[in-house]
Amino acid sequence: MGIYVHIPFCEKKCYYCDFHSVVVGDLTHFAKVTDDYLISVRKEALYYKKQWGNKSLSTLFIGGGTPTSLPPQKLASLIRFILHEFPFAENPEVTIEANPHTIHLNDAKILASAGVNRVSIGAQSFQNNLLQSMGRLHRSDQIEKSVLRFKEAGIDNVNLDLMFGLPEQTINDWKDTLMSALSLKPTHLSCYGLILEPGTPFAIWEAKGILRFPTDDDQAEMFEIAREVLVKSGYEHYEISNFCKPRFEARHNLLYWMNMPFIGLGSGATGYLNRRRYTNIAKISEYIKGWMNDCPIYERESLISEKQEMDETMMVGMRLLQGVSEIDFMERYGMSFFEVYPLEIEGLLNKGLVELVNGKLRVTKQGLYLENMVSGAFLP
Amino acid sequence: MTQKNIRNFCIIAHIDHGKSTLADRILEYTGTLTQREMADQVLDSMDLEKERGITIKLQAVRLTYEAHNGEKYTLNLIDTPGHVDFSYEVSRSLAACEGALLVIDASQGIEAQTLANLYLALDHDLEIIPVINKIDLPNADPERVKYELEDSIGIPAEEAVLVSARTGEGIGEMLEAIVNRIPAPKGDSQAPTRAMIFDSHYDQYRGAVAYARVIDGNIKVGDMIKMMSTGRTFEVNELGVFRPALVAVNNLGPGDVGCVMASMKDVRDTRVGDTITNASRPTTEALEGYRPAKPMVYCGLYPVINEDYVALRDALDKLQLNDAALTYEAESSAALGFGYRCGFLGLLHLEIIQERLEREFDLDIITTAPSVVYQVVLTDEEVIEIDNPSDLPAVTNIEHIKEPYVHATIMVPDEFVGAVMDVCQDRRGVFSNMEYITPERAKIDYEMPLAEILMDFFDRLKSRTKGYASLDYELIGYRESKVVKLDILLNGNPVDALSCIVHQDKALSRGRSLAEKLKEVIPRQQFEVPIQAAIGNKIIARETVRALRKDVLAKCYGGDISRKRKLLEKQKEGKKRMKSLGNVEVPQEAFMAILEVE
Repeated sequence: MGIYVHIPFCEKKCYYCDFHSVVVGDLTHFAKVTDDYLISVRKEALYYKKQWGNKSLSTLFIGGGTPTSLPPQKLASLIRFILHEFPFAENPEVTIEANPHTIHLNDAKILASAGVNRVSIGAQSFQNNLLQSMGRLHRSDQIEKSVLRFKEAGIDNVNLDLMFGLPEQTINDWKDTLMSALSLKPTHLSCYGLILEPGTPFAIWEAKGILRFPTDDDQAEMFEIAREVLVKSGYEHYEISNFCKPRFEARHNLLYWMNMPFIGLGSGATGYLNRRRYTNIAKISEYIKGWMNDCPIYERESLISEKQEMDETMMVGMRLLQGVSEIDFMERYGMSFFEVYPLEIEGLLNKGLVELVNGKLRVTKQGLYLENMVSGAFLP
Repeated sequence: MTQKNIRNFCIIAHIDHGKSTLADRILEYTGTLTQREMADQVLDSMDLEKERGITIKLQAVRLTYEAHNGEKYTLNLIDTPGHVDFSYEVSRSLAACEGALLVIDASQGIEAQTLANLYLALDHDLEIIPVINKIDLPNADPERVKYELEDSIGIPAEEAVLVSARTGEGIGEMLEAIVNRIPAPKGDSQAPTRAMIFDSHYDQYRGAVAYARVIDGNIKVGDMIKMMSTGRTFEVNELGVFRPALVAVNNLGPGDVGCVMASMKDVRDTRVGDTITNASRPTTEALEGYRPAKPMVYCGLYPVINEDYVALRDALDKLQLNDAALTYEAESSAALGFGYRCGFLGLLHLEIIQERLEREFDLDIITTAPSVVYQVVLTDEEVIEIDNPSDLPAVTNIEHIKEPYVHATIMVPDEFVGAVMDVCQDRRGVFSNMEYITPERAKIDYEMPLAEILMDFFDRLKSRTKGYASLDYELIGYRESKVVKLDILLNGNPVDALSCIVHQDKALSRGRSLAEKLKEVIPRQQFEVPIQAAIGNKIIARETVRALRKDVLAKCYGGDISRKRKLLEKQKEGKKRMKSLGNVEVPQEAFMAILEVE
């Protein structure tokens, strides 16, 4: 089980991003707002602590936004607070997201001393022209520097986020990015195909014909290249968009893909507790206002029935290349997924989208590329 | 009111030439409605269709007019439908009249449809009063219209009445002309009853309502009446006339126009053109001109969702209560499952029904390619009629096939004559005649296959003539024709619902464009989907829907689970609206494609 903390601040909004975040420079009293925000997160943490009880926790993930847009001391103090208040098991995975240009060696050391032992760096691309066109603030040489600083500070479990399907991106650009990333010897790589989210500058520019994006077929090709290159270099492809050196899976993210409960803290954060899924109000001032009165304000909230949870367990579980274990499913729900989804699974098997290997139902290669068809089959 | 003071008339006009406004003005002028009540065009208004809990179709309005000679007259204004699909109904309405107002727009001149209805009116020996309308408009040219009248129809120019339905100018003169020029109805009140049904309507409380014109004898409340075409008898519960509200009367005599209510189950009991007689003292001779409503076009209607099959039948049942021309019978398609083969008067009629099924009954419908009725002469000389490509016998058993032809009359300004001929030629038209009605306006006659007219011919005609062309057509019989069955194969399997019968000269281009269109509308799927057009075993066109390579979300973390679920559920919803043919998911639009391609 784990905790996610959302830090909704950024120095600049990237052109593809539809996450809720505010640009630091737009805030008049930045220090006041961030302090109030961090106080609210602490209050929220204590609120869920009561509900949580003394079940053991194993991961903490600080995401955003850009967590490192806050002063490192403040982040460190929040991390210490959470690790102290909740019953964490030994050697928890503590991850923080960082952007290459925001990291100094001293910052990395402060975070490490607070318990951070894994970092996820938003590298995205090693082509400066592409970085610029997506609205990123860093240049490619800063990626290497930031990796080295984290390693020097003792955080050598490093993930790099990479993106393909960028405007004007060529196959060779993508290969170059992969090779550059490999040269930094990260333990983990996330390779995301760009999604044009409605309302983002990218989506608007695409609609107006200002930018040209690779087609879905081009994206499929880039994805295929990533698989070949990374697997050849000793990485395991363990989730649709994720690759790791053996035993370096993102433990926190595995919780999501196994559909386990987790606590979400911060504006816009989602949590899943006692078959209740909540998403906090996204607007920062509203979020703070709520906790000033010691109560959560939700953007939405829903109760998940057992059947719905089964559906979702299959829906997210099939993203893992190892698949969903029949025994695990049975232990959790008292019946096999073959009993719950007989026709659905038969259909998927017939279409060659899934296969049953060693008691696990998993996607085939084609099912991997058409995962929506697989997931969709488990929904009513 | 004595018979000699009755005048029955209708208004013949092209769409937009001001029929409704003119009718309103007549109602207002005769005091049938005050100006305050004239909120909108009465004859077209749906709001007034509710009276004493029943719905009424304002088909015939009774007006009282005091003429300049001091006598009171009863004027019955009978409405006529205005589309080529309904030409038989038009002819029955005309048969209920002694005269007609021929309304012509002072700036537009005579149009083909007007002319076609005028000829129909002349066939019925109606007294024609030409009315040149919209004379108040700045571009009005009544002199040119008078010239057209005299030159093309042979109506003396001085007979025309100039009016403006908008301002009311000339309406008085027009009413005097109606009284003075249209003859009183003939008919013998002592003779056995004969009344002609010129329209009918289904009302949920009273059953079918017949709109009839009494020729001889009388109809009284309590009478047993008999329908000559079916021999069925009914007791009259109510008689009425519209002023424009329904007013009950006890008797309808010779020359009268009104509605007859006799607990009739549906409009099949009140067939347009049929003769009503008295059951105890019946006439021996029915009135001439009865023709059972005969569908010209057939297509399959299928529910998108199979479970809606019963709902579709119930809906067709209800529509049929009020539509004697609509026919349907159950059929099944390998591709679409269970549905109904439906017959229509024409494409407009088909579209109306389809729209009503979707709007009023909330059904999602797939329509298969409309087909005319072909006569297939078999090698053993037997002749069968087919309206469904699937029913076409094996080629080896066919001696030849005949298809229905129409005589089409098109009127256009002379600059578009070339364009019209192009379009007609392209549609296998055979030129028969052309004459100039005025130096600027031509009337072109073609003989054409009905099937060609059905495929967006009029739209094509209008677009090639900047909207100036008008069209009218009538069936002239069957002719031998080299038609073939064009099949569409998806993933190697023929899809019966996409088959159509086409002329062999057009099969290749039709097959190609159909395959191209299907490629556009069929979404990419897990496997490559070949689309083939074939005649018999011969493939004449091929397209391929490439396999879908990637359908996956890049990210799915804690906050994305609900989102992913919603997205997938939406995808699934879309899929439910598709028909699964073998392995291929085919959207509703694919079946529409066949209507859209050239």
